[in-house]
Amino acid sequence: MEMESLPNGDSTSAAAAASVPTSKLSHLAESLKLEHQFLRVPLEHLKKSMRANHRIVEKEMSAVISGVAEAADRDMSKEEAVQHLSCLVSRLQGLKRKSEEGSKTEHLQAQRCRARLDHLDGVDIDNQSEWNNMRVKRILVDYMLRLSYYDSAVKLAESSNIQDLVDIDVFLEAKKVIDALQNKEVAPALAWCAENKSRLKKSKSKFEFQLRLQEFIELVRADNNLRAITYARKYLATWGATHMKELQRVMATLAFKSNTECATYKVLFEAKQWDYLVEQFKQEFCRLYGMTLEPLLNIYLQAGLSALKTPFCYEEDCTKEDPLSQEHFRKLASPLPFSKQHHSKLVCYISKELMDFDNPPLVLPNGYVYSTKALEEMAKKNDGKITCPRTGFICNFSELVKAFIS
Amino acid sequence: MDVSAVESILARGENLRKKEKNQKRAGSFGFGTICYSNCIRANWLTPIGSESGLPNQIPEMELSSIKDAFDRVSKKQKLSSSKTQEVIDQVGREIEQTLEKLQSSQDAASGVDQKAFLTELKSKINEIGPINQLEGSQKELNVGLSKYTKLLEKSFISDISKAYRNVEFDIHTVNQIVATHFYRQGLFDLGDCFINEAHEPEGTILKSSFLEMYRILEAVKSRNLEPALAWVAANRDQLLQNGSNLELKLHRLQFVEILQKRGRNDALKYARAYLPPFASGHMDDIQKLMACLLWVGRLDCSPYAEILSPSHWEKLAEELTRQFCSLLGQSYESPLSIAIAAGVQGLPTLLKLANVMAAKQQEWQAMKQLPVPLDLGREFQFHSIFVCPVSRDQATDENPPMLMPCSHVLCKQSIVKLSKSSTRTFKCPYCPLEATVAQCRQLYF
Ligand SMILES: [Zn+2]
Ligand SMILES: [Zn+2]
Repeated sequence: MEMESLPNGDSTSAAAAASVPTSKLSHLAESLKLEHQFLRVPLEHLKKSMRANHRIVEKEMSAVISGVAEAADRDMSKEEAVQHLSCLVSRLQGLKRKSEEGSKTEHLQAQRCRARLDHLDGVDIDNQSEWNNMRVKRILVDYMLRLSYYDSAVKLAESSNIQDLVDIDVFLEAKKVIDALQNKEVAPALAWCAENKSRLKKSKSKFEFQLRLQEFIELVRADNNLRAITYARKYLATWGATHMKELQRVMATLAFKSNTECATYKVLFEAKQWDYLVEQFKQEFCRLYGMTLEPLLNIYLQAGLSALKTPFCYEEDCTKEDPLSQEHFRKLASPLPFSKQHHSKLVCYISKELMDFDNPPLVLPNGYVYSTKALEEMAKKNDGKITCPRTGFICNFSELVKAFIS
Repeated sequence: MDVSAVESILARGENLRKKEKNQKRAGSFGFGTICYSNCIRANWLTPIGSESGLPNQIPEMELSSIKDAFDRVSKKQKLSSSKTQEVIDQVGREIEQTLEKLQSSQDAASGVDQKAFLTELKSKINEIGPINQLEGSQKELNVGLSKYTKLLEKSFISDISKAYRNVEFDIHTVNQIVATHFYRQGLFDLGDCFINEAHEPEGTILKSSFLEMYRILEAVKSRNLEPALAWVAANRDQLLQNGSNLELKLHRLQFVEILQKRGRNDALKYARAYLPPFASGHMDDIQKLMACLLWVGRLDCSPYAEILSPSHWEKLAEELTRQFCSLLGQSYESPLSIAIAAGVQGLPTLLKLANVMAAKQQEWQAMKQLPVPLDLGREFQFHSIFVCPVSRDQATDENPPMLMPCSHVLCKQSIVKLSKSSTRTFKCPYCPLEATVAQCRQLYF
């Protein structure tokens, strides 16, 4: 039968062959759209520095202005006035230095934003495999930073010279808070909340409330009831309007103390509450910087394993080249859905090449199918004899028939 | 996923698509192939541009315009910085001038002047309005920043975790995969550091094997083939099973090295010692090598000059790596890199799907098979998947692919359906020829 007379198959596979570069390009373009975090994090970092610098300048400038007003409004001796103004001048000099330093930091951060744009713009079909390797490294650095494997993260970034493409300094800021929380200290976390007050408020975060609750619990644990009550009045009462239930529950611990057997309250005194705070902080932190809450590695791995997962992967003859031939990957993939195909995709058992229009499948009398190229080569080497590699069946090349796959 | 769910996804997808008429890449649902069984599924056939049939919701990205937008922000930031410095200087100058005036007024009784100077300073600074100036430039910068932030949100997918499933994703397993990846890439220090920080001692299982591999490869790089030859000799049977003639290739390179460096006699001695076992299968190669003996000292201008090409060394290193990994039961490429690359290709479609199914969280979490293909490149095709062109079902052991006498292939269930479960002839859906069930044979891909 002529291929041309087929209502399908022929035309689609020809089109597919012609569109290979286009599909590669569109894969590339689509993959760049996944890089939001890559651009967003340094931008948020830059914005943060700008806000902080601006706040300093504004605060100092206001102080100087009211200093001038004070000098004008108060009676001062000449010496006093000179002294007062000199003091303002040196304050301004200090401010200028600070502002210059701040602007230098901002400049470096802006350069980093720009370097990342250039990095995205720099990928093309020719350097793609190198670029992809770099992406794997970026994803791994992100993973290690999120799990607090800082030394490994720094090592990989430095040895690959990708410091500008990863967010080590951003995560070092988180490290201070996380380390403190792990030591059961809330002060750095509270300072962080204060620094980001308006943005945390906007996202309706109750992280600060949770920190305060923990501090209260620690006072109760230490049997410091009076201080606990004072603390509650000062720091917890303001959250009453929005979080009354939690507030009441925690206040009730005053009656139960830390050795309570009552499950509702016992849990509040458990050490894992601190782990919970660390997790909570990591989430708030990621949200503030526009990061995904999950490590990028987990997101890409899950998508990739689902895309690769077929019922054949769990059979013994799954090729070693398939990640899903490995126990670790199989384990991660087991709760994920199988992939779906709408069109046949056939791989030659012998050559591992795709059997398509250019290399169509041929059928042995025993029903086993291999690619034309592989069988032609086998026939050439063996005087036209074909041996089925899976069954040992022997036949002549002339006995093979075509199979039309649409 | 059941049919009604697919239907409703499609309906939502269709609605979304209508909303985005102005977007050039919005795919149209085509009816590319004849479909007999299920007309809802026909909707899923290849639309132009993407195989998934899901709408393309994100417009094409123009990185250059994004860069321009950022450069504008960056410029405003510089302006704002210099404005700040300027305001500080301005205020400082005024105070210093007043200070000078105060100091130069010698008259002790000039308390009135002093008051006047200070009041003047106060009103001058009020005139400058430093706070307003600072706020003005900051405000302008903020406008630029939020514009740029929005542009990023519009041009990129702002949350790629939307398709993430809340399933067990064991951290120790991931850590062991990462550690093995580092060792696999020859990053032994990093691997050790990682194992240490992650407290994952089981991650070192393959370390010593990969250490050996890199030791052999390093030696090859400095043109020392001894370790490679020793490894090949120790694994001869398995390599032959793999159909690899790596050993001969190593001896060939070694022979040429000896011929170049130590001369004809040593080369001949080497050939006599090591090449005879290959005589039966590779006479051509051996003849060529022996002929090289005639050209000693001027091999580079001989008909065999090609044998000196450094590419042989590169190819050898590659095949050595391939065979070494294969014998370890590992892939040639890092499986982690492959899985990530597959994820990068599959995620855009997966995110579109998650978006369409946003209201069906339960179904999303529970699905056993994705309802759409993720359209991976052929480098990720590790298995033969036969999809029946009639029923669109993937073939299984129970429903295998069958070859009809006309050479068209359908799955068994479709053939049984077409034959109406009888032994009579039926017409092939793709050509005018007829067949009976008995004439169809099962295929094995
Ligand atoms: Zn597989
Ligand atoms: Zn037919």
